[in-house]
Amino acid sequence: MTRRRLALVGALLLVAACVERITALGHCPGDFCPSGQITIVDTLLTTNIARDSSYRGYVLAYQSPLMLAANLPGATDTLDGRPIFRMNPVGSRLRISTADTSTGLILGADSARLQVYFVRRDSATRNLRLQLYRLPITIDTSTTFADLTGPFTDSLVRTINIDTLLAQPGRKDTVTGDSAVVDTVNHRLVLSLKLDTAAARYVGTDSGRVAYGIRIAADTLASVALGKGSFGPVLQWHLRVDSLGMPVARNPGNLAAAFASFVFAPPPAPIDSTLAVGGVPSARSLLRVTLPKVIRDSGQIIRGTLILVPAVAARGAPADSFMIEARTVFADFGGKSPVDLRFGDTTVIHVGSTDTVKIEVTNLLQIWAADSTRPTVLVLRPEREAQAFGEIRFYPSVAAAFRPTLQVTFVRRFPFGVP
Amino acid sequence: MTLRIGGIMAVLLVGPALTGRAMVAAQDSQFGIRGLGTPGRWESVRSRSTGGAFGPFDPLSPLMEAPLADIGQLTATAAGGTSHRDVQEGGTTTALRTTRFPVMGVAGPVAPRLAVAAGFTTYLDKSWDVAFRDSFLLRGVMQRYIDELTSDGSVTDVRFAAAGRLSRRIAIGAGLHVLAGSTRMTAERRFDDSTFHPVQQSAEVRYDGFGVSGSVLIGVAPGLSLAGWARSDNRLRAKVADTTSAITDLPRMVGGGVLFAPSPSVRFAASAAWRSWGRAGQGAFDTWTWSAGAEFGSRRMPIRLGARRGQMPFGPGTEAPTETAGSLGTGRAFAQGRALIDLGLERLERRGGGLTERVWTVLVGLTVRP
Repeated sequence: MTRRRLALVGALLLVAACVERITALGHCPGDFCPSGQITIVDTLLTTNIARDSSYRGYVLAYQSPLMLAANLPGATDTLDGRPIFRMNPVGSRLRISTADTSTGLILGADSARLQVYFVRRDSATRNLRLQLYRLPITIDTSTTFADLTGPFTDSLVRTINIDTLLAQPGRKDTVTGDSAVVDTVNHRLVLSLKLDTAAARYVGTDSGRVAYGIRIAADTLASVALGKGSFGPVLQWHLRVDSLGMPVARNPGNLAAAFASFVFAPPPAPIDSTLAVGGVPSARSLLRVTLPKVIRDSGQIIRGTLILVPAVAARGAPADSFMIEARTVFADFGGKSPVDLRFGDTTVIHVGSTDTVKIEVTNLLQIWAADSTRPTVLVLRPEREAQAFGEIRFYPSVAAAFRPTLQVTFVRRFPFGVP
Repeated sequence: MTLRIGGIMAVLLVGPALTGRAMVAAQDSQFGIRGLGTPGRWESVRSRSTGGAFGPFDPLSPLMEAPLADIGQLTATAAGGTSHRDVQEGGTTTALRTTRFPVMGVAGPVAPRLAVAAGFTTYLDKSWDVAFRDSFLLRGVMQRYIDELTSDGSVTDVRFAAAGRLSRRIAIGAGLHVLAGSTRMTAERRFDDSTFHPVQQSAEVRYDGFGVSGSVLIGVAPGLSLAGWARSDNRLRAKVADTTSAITDLPRMVGGGVLFAPSPSVRFAASAAWRSWGRAGQGAFDTWTWSAGAEFGSRRMPIRLGARRGQMPFGPGTEAPTETAGSLGTGRAFAQGRALIDLGLERLERRGGGLTERVWTVLVGLTVRP
């Protein structure tokens, strides 16, 4: 009897325990909406950015993944960028045959082929010319533009008109032996230069080390970027090797660059009170933000825009617009603050422009609102540091009329529970 | 016996909570969105099939306590209903469907002249989901957006009642009402311009309140009974994260009814009630409701019908929305009367402020007398 009663009560419970939701979405005419509404506030924080400063030297020329070449005449001076690189040595002896390990002394070079990768170029540039110079093999990270004034004056080994070469059938110059390959997918241009014995000198005491520098020129503003590493210069020697008194031709494997960098002049203007971003060595600016409590604690940020007024027109190659990004930091250690790479917002800077720059920083403000332990510091830096000469300088917070500002759109807490 | 009733009551009350939903919910309405919610119907399926007219005389309807005095044996009941609702406004019709279980309870005698009951019913249904499109000027540009506001939950009336028969003609009862419940509320806004991130806020709102009620049932003559009841609830407190967000006065209510049974197979009833919902603030109105119904045939398989008309407590404008309903139903007893299944069908229309709701509700009730 008891079991039967319990079974009946259990069945009752099963029926009662299932509760379904409304399955359709209702329409809400004006008079039948909930009394509470989502309230949006848009505010301009004009004095909440302070203690801002700039630092330079984060990525140096030799640390850049690119070698920048430029010839950009300006009002007062010319921005002149010159890639320099030193190839790995081939050695003093070379194996005669693949069948045994015997080697022969390298007697000299018949020729060589040098490949360089153009990873960025302005396709609108006309009559682009490349000049190849032989440089001392002592070039290193401390080499300056002034150190190479001599070699870049008297050691010209080849001049190539790239536009002329590209216009040749098959992009090959049958006279000089130069050729070019254009990668239409990645927009890279691979230039293959044939160097004669005068241009590619094999010096036994140097184990075949050679170093070259490149200058460019064009009818218009010339600016290109050459690759490094996987897309760096490659040298293929065509050597003569002694084989029991008989010279034989041998082609060792391709040699990559042991060192690749670029030198340029004039050097970047020193850091001043403005907020510098970009350039080589790269500059960053730190902006310390005070987020009002009403936004940080009570609201949900749906849009945040950082507004910056350039103090001078952005510098750099006119064709090389560059991106700058705003990021947060893990801790505020001034110029050495570790940057949080997980979240960032970017904008494009057009060289020569003095238009007000706006960066959407909604993601960053939301992170600050969600985690009150994070320092409310913004780092402005180029998205690709030291990969372009472009640099922009903004008015700092001490310039009252043009100081950085934040426009924040946020939502007040919804009045839940109010009938 | 007392232990048995207590055990069943405990299982009935705790069981739904274990499923993740402590509160039951009832039919909802567009008219309740702007106010406190949609008041529940404190009626069993039997009573609701007669338009609510038999409510004051039905021991399994949680409207009055006095009829419990005649319950005779341990009884448990539950009811469920599925509503198909068309909301019509400005030439636009939206179809909605919802399933609710608005009444559960258990009752039984604990002494020769004393019966107790416990159970719960929906006091205010607060489940709704509305979306609308609008635009406003933001940062100098007209921004279009879609808002979606939702509320899922209800306020439940947990009733503990006792009733006794003072004489052959008079029975009285009293009840304590604990109002409790919660709603999960969300507010979302999605802009057409994705530069503005979506707004997403949510909160769990908890409600509490308290009420008392009393009722009397008088046998005037053989086949003729009168009923009267009164109830007072204090206030509904809404709390969000332990912070009180609103305190709203709840209504006082009085009502009564008459039951006329000229023969054992024919029963007529009528009832009326007044509720001072106007205390709840702006946009709330005091309401009158009345109903009339009949039940024919044996108690093993009766035929029921009824009509009801009244006012809704919340709505726009200066007049309370109106509510008109017609209903019919039947029942079937099994296992020598130990189990009863009641079925009902209700057609309801609500009007007010240019909005019309038409609702078909299918009701199923299960009553067990172990």
